[in-house]
Amino acid sequence: MFPKSAAVALAALLVSSLTAKAETIPVLVPITGFLSLEGTAQRNGAVLAIERYGKDLDLDAEVTDTGTSPEGAVTALRRALEDKPSAAVASMLGTQMLAMLPIAGRAGVPLLTVSGTAKITEIGIPWVFRFFPGDSVVKVAQARYAVEELGAKRPALLYQTTAYGQSGAEHLRRIMQDLGAPLVFEEAIDISVKDMLPALTRMQEAKPDLILLHLHSGSTALVIRQARDQNIALPILAGSAMHQPTTAALLEPQQLGGVCAESASSPISEPEGPVEDFTAEYRARFGTEPDAFALAQYDGASMLIAAKNAGARTATEVRDWLASNSYDGLAMTYKSDGKGNMAHDALIVCYDGESAVPAIKRRYENVSGVK
Amino acid sequence: MSTIALTQILLNGLALGAAYALIALGFVIVLNAAGAVNFAQGELVMAGGFAAIALAPLIGEATALPGLFLLPLVMGLMGLVGAGFAWLAYFPVRKRHQVAVFVSTIAAGLVLQHLANALFGAAPRAGPPLITGDSLSIGAFSVSLQQIAVMVCAALLISGTGLFLGRTQTGRRMRAVAQDPEMAAAIGIRPKRMITLSFALAIALAGAAGLLLSNQFFVSPNDGGLFMLKAYIAVTIGGWGRLDGAVIGALLIGIFETLVAALASYLVAEALLYAVLLVMLVFRPSGLLPERARARV
Repeated sequence: MFPKSAAVALAALLVSSLTAKAETIPVLVPITGFLSLEGTAQRNGAVLAIERYGKDLDLDAEVTDTGTSPEGAVTALRRALEDKPSAAVASMLGTQMLAMLPIAGRAGVPLLTVSGTAKITEIGIPWVFRFFPGDSVVKVAQARYAVEELGAKRPALLYQTTAYGQSGAEHLRRIMQDLGAPLVFEEAIDISVKDMLPALTRMQEAKPDLILLHLHSGSTALVIRQARDQNIALPILAGSAMHQPTTAALLEPQQLGGVCAESASSPISEPEGPVEDFTAEYRARFGTEPDAFALAQYDGASMLIAAKNAGARTATEVRDWLASNSYDGLAMTYKSDGKGNMAHDALIVCYDGESAVPAIKRRYENVSGVK
Repeated sequence: MSTIALTQILLNGLALGAAYALIALGFVIVLNAAGAVNFAQGELVMAGGFAAIALAPLIGEATALPGLFLLPLVMGLMGLVGAGFAWLAYFPVRKRHQVAVFVSTIAAGLVLQHLANALFGAAPRAGPPLITGDSLSIGAFSVSLQQIAVMVCAALLISGTGLFLGRTQTGRRMRAVAQDPEMAAAIGIRPKRMITLSFALAIALAGAAGLLLSNQFFVSPNDGGLFMLKAYIAVTIGGWGRLDGAVIGALLIGIFETLVAALASYLVAEALLYAVLLVMLVFRPSGLLPERARARV
């Protein structure tokens, strides 16, 4: 009798272990819509890290397109939560994160994101971990470089009307004022605007000595191109969208002369070391160039796997591990500031007018003083 | 603001309005022929831009007029797409509830958007220039050669479409079907053939607009919604069902938006445009040029 029941129990154990599902990490990102370029980079970074480091843990990534509406993101998250994941990679679009966070908070599942919108870590929901430096870091770097290195005294700012744009503009407005170089002109630009000449014309009347941009990829390229076409030779210090290889590809190298940008990293600018290895692997896997969003999400997903390797299994254990440990990623060292802001470094890249690959000009480390 | 700056801004508005006019023209041609709104018109403009990018290597850099050489190729290809579009997204559902037609065209548009995303990626891309060369400078006044080329091409295509529909036997048949399909069929005209031709012409024009816009303003898979909205507003302002109204409406939108944005801001321009649209819908719903009465989706 005993051997028979033991055999049955053993068989059941074998069947359950053979059919055991690998843990799936939901990757809920905007692959379609106006943020699809950045969202695709975010997806690629997460997928690459999970494929590379998640094998031993039997981890798998399941990608869902959130589009660009908060409703799309909420639906994707609710569906993902049915499988009770220990964490999810979540949209870089701030409005989507703000909609998803209360739900993730109630379900007790940490969200790992690269969204730059400051508010997501300021609303008091301790289930978000941001692996891209927020506006309180990158905008400080952008403003300091404008004043300290480019000598700006009369900067003009063009920013997007989205939550991302308004958040960045708010920071720039305040920091530039504090640095003694208040904005002499500012204009909000909708993502659908194609003709930048009206804004450029009014901007010139304010006689600025530098153009600050905080726009998405397409708008950034349109402003730079149309400014150069109008013989506006002012230096341009752009937001992180400019460092993306796909943005630079829209412009002629000579149009990029005098253009710099803030970013968390610039993988293609690093000719050697582990970042170069990442770049080569990314190119081989996706047939495209990686950007800072891809590398940040790669680091974020790698830190999640490090948490699991350290024994964190449940969502709460993962959250606690992410909140209390630091991680040496490829772009920088990540450590929570207590609100889920993990990234505290920024850099400035500049184009020389001859190549579409920017050079790293200045690193700003530990801007928020957390590490 | 100086006169030179104002002139440059107006030229920009005119160039943008000219491209919008091609989109709106195609929109009205389908509206008249099929009695239904083609909600995929914007995505078809985007498809035209990507078609130009895909076909550009055929032309290479051997010519100084890459976009101009590509224009007939893109229009031909998009014309074929238009004929296929009619048979896939319109004819199978045309006898069902009117809602079925616009849902069908919305679905077709989304398929195109996702297809472009899969084939070309999410990043914005720059199409081939119509002509090589940067700008023409007269004193302090500088005008982009691309802008001039866009305006000339759009004007020729709009005039050509008008002549084709007004002066040729095929054009007259298309208009006959648009006005009364049953009567046209009774006198031996084949409505299905004419409607297919209307879709082909409309989508060829959308493709041309896509090429004209793709170099200066780039193209990305998500641009369709914007173009569709502009076409819809242009037709509402100009007059439903009127080809000339669509062109006038589109030119007015281009100039209005650019001028108000230059004098105030983009946000004011956008808000005022929709306010004008609301006023038009309340006080002159038939648009600047009155509509010929007909039930439409």
